Amino acid sequence: MSTIIIGIGNPVLSDDSVGIKIEHTLAHALRARPDVETRELWAGGLRLMEALKGHERAIIIDAIVTEGGKPGSVYTLKPTDLQQSRNTCSSHDAGFQEALELGTMLGLNLPPQITIWAIEAGDVETFSENLTRDVERAVPIVVEGVMRQIGMEKQLSASGGEQR
Amino acid sequence: MRRISINPITRLEGHGKIDIFLDEHGNVANTYFQVPELRGFEQFCVGRPAEDMPVITNRICGVCPEAHHMASVKALDRLFGVEPTPAAKKIRELFYTAFFVTDHTTHFYALGGPDFILGPDAPPAERNILGVVKKVGIEAGKQVIECRARNHHVIQMLGGRGIHPVAGVPGGWSKAVSAAERAEIETIANQNVEFALFTLKVFDQIVLGNPAYLDLVLSDVYHHRTYSMGTVDEQNRLNFYDGKIRVVDPEGREFLKYDASDYAQHIAERVEPWTYLKFPYLKKIGWKGFVDGAESGVYTATPLSRLNAADRLATPLAQEQFERFYQTLGAKTVNGRYQPVHHRLATHWARLIELLYAAERMQELARDPEITSPEIRKIPQNVAGAGVGCVEAPRGTLTHHYVSDERAILTKVNLVVGTTNNHAAISMSIRRAAEKLIQGFAVVEEGLLNRVEMAFRLYDPCFSCATHALPGAMPLMVNIKSQEGETLKSLRRDG
Repeated sequence: MSTIIIGIGNPVLSDDSVGIKIEHTLAHALRARPDVETRELWAGGLRLMEALKGHERAIIIDAIVTEGGKPGSVYTLKPTDLQQSRNTCSSHDAGFQEALELGTMLGLNLPPQITIWAIEAGDVETFSENLTRDVERAVPIVVEGVMRQIGMEKQLSASGGEQR
Repeated sequence: MRRISINPITRLEGHGKIDIFLDEHGNVANTYFQVPELRGFEQFCVGRPAEDMPVITNRICGVCPEAHHMASVKALDRLFGVEPTPAAKKIRELFYTAFFVTDHTTHFYALGGPDFILGPDAPPAERNILGVVKKVGIEAGKQVIECRARNHHVIQMLGGRGIHPVAGVPGGWSKAVSAAERAEIETIANQNVEFALFTLKVFDQIVLGNPAYLDLVLSDVYHHRTYSMGTVDEQNRLNFYDGKIRVVDPEGREFLKYDASDYAQHIAERVEPWTYLKFPYLKKIGWKGFVDGAESGVYTATPLSRLNAADRLATPLAQEQFERFYQTLGAKTVNGRYQPVHHRLATHWARLIELLYAAERMQELARDPEITSPEIRKIPQNVAGAGVGCVEAPRGTLTHHYVSDERAILTKVNLVVGTTNNHAAISMSIRRAAEKLIQGFAVVEEGLLNRVEMAFRLYDPCFSCATHALPGAMPLMVNIKSQEGETLKSLRRDG
């Protein structure tokens, strides 16, 4: 199944970079999988929808800020869940759900299966290349989860120590 | 005093809150527009090699990384005291026109357009790009997506990366344009010109063809007589990439024309206790508060102000539209130039004229034989120690100012971003809309809320870099408060 894995965030904005950091780890671990494309993005909305075109499955990884959420918590969401959330990946042009509807309306070939891995951020307001401690701990959990999702559990046990 | 709060602002970066205080009669006494701030961007940059800046500053924001990249490399040209080759300047400008085409297109169809195409009183759930496509047609929707895709392709081809470009270097550009690339870009530019003309036609039919919308554009709700800023070439024609910064007064007389490096002599920043965001104003006039007129130092830097500041446009089709724009809106000519238009909703139209100009300029540059020259860089030999770089970003004049030590390690960084220029004007437009639309404790209906939002949406504000903020949907909250500060009503819309 042709899969695209997208990490969204700003690499210099503390926990907002968590999606990109996870994507980089996955890109390295998945370099032998020609059916999996990995990509870094820093725009939700139309840009994100356009990036999904032509794939059968999409896995999106991003930071999220929810009311009363505990930093480092990991959620798996569907695009429809995002309407209620205050997701940092929405963009200047359109919400993600709105962009997906547009893509469908225009007959663009969008993946039927979209999973969003969202990591509760602690700090998305300070310019820094580092993650906060709780969010740092969530990185291997999401890497493992995505590897399982795309049928790479075995490789995981072989190199699991390295990822932690 | 009573207070109204709008929080969050839809279709806008970051998130914001508007507090509207009412007096004892239920009329607007004051409005405060607040956005949260991100911290420490300057500190993050200080101590780094100056040459890292074009790839760091373009991370400030995911909306206009190309503008930050360009202002940054221009600041580095100065900081390293090196003049780029003519071919490098042309490649930079070519790259920049592709960015303008995609950015202005997106704004019209996804952000600003819905207010007009669907109407200011349409339910918010329909006032988005989906509603636009339903109204103008699937074919047009496809064209929008294709326009974005082909220009993103040009940005990637020339800039070296899809989203955050890397090709700009002090003294030039790191990647020459091949003959095949040039031909491809020319084809894309031709398609862009067609698309811009099509979009202007849509605007004509839907907005200019509807007396109610034209009345709204010309109403005094969004009318402010302020100074206008824009970058012009040696013939006072608009240019996005380079030239002198020109400011004209509300009557259209040239008030200032200066080199980017002199910005601090002409622009000062006002700090208000209720917001982190500063309010730039014209130093020579001074800060007189949130008021219109030639006596007030408030200016704007928007597509409208750029047309106002220029005597004409450099490309033929855009020039025709430029003339039609001023004639339709009833501007007189004085000393051979049109007097400024101050109806702020006309900014949406001005943006489309700029879209056409960008497309035509792209065509010209793609046809220029020098564009494929391999002479794309001069290697810096010295460190001058300071540099200011200015470009017109889609949202207004963008300035990067760096100071370094003798090894080109940064000691000071200051940015004045497009949206910040307009902060005072945005606040004034919100207040004006609130004053007109909230009277005697009148209930704030959805259309009213939207008109307050329309007031700032026309500026296409992007607070993610104005406050160095993140690209989130802009949730908007309006609190209507009494004289005593009691919240009478809270209107909330999630982004």
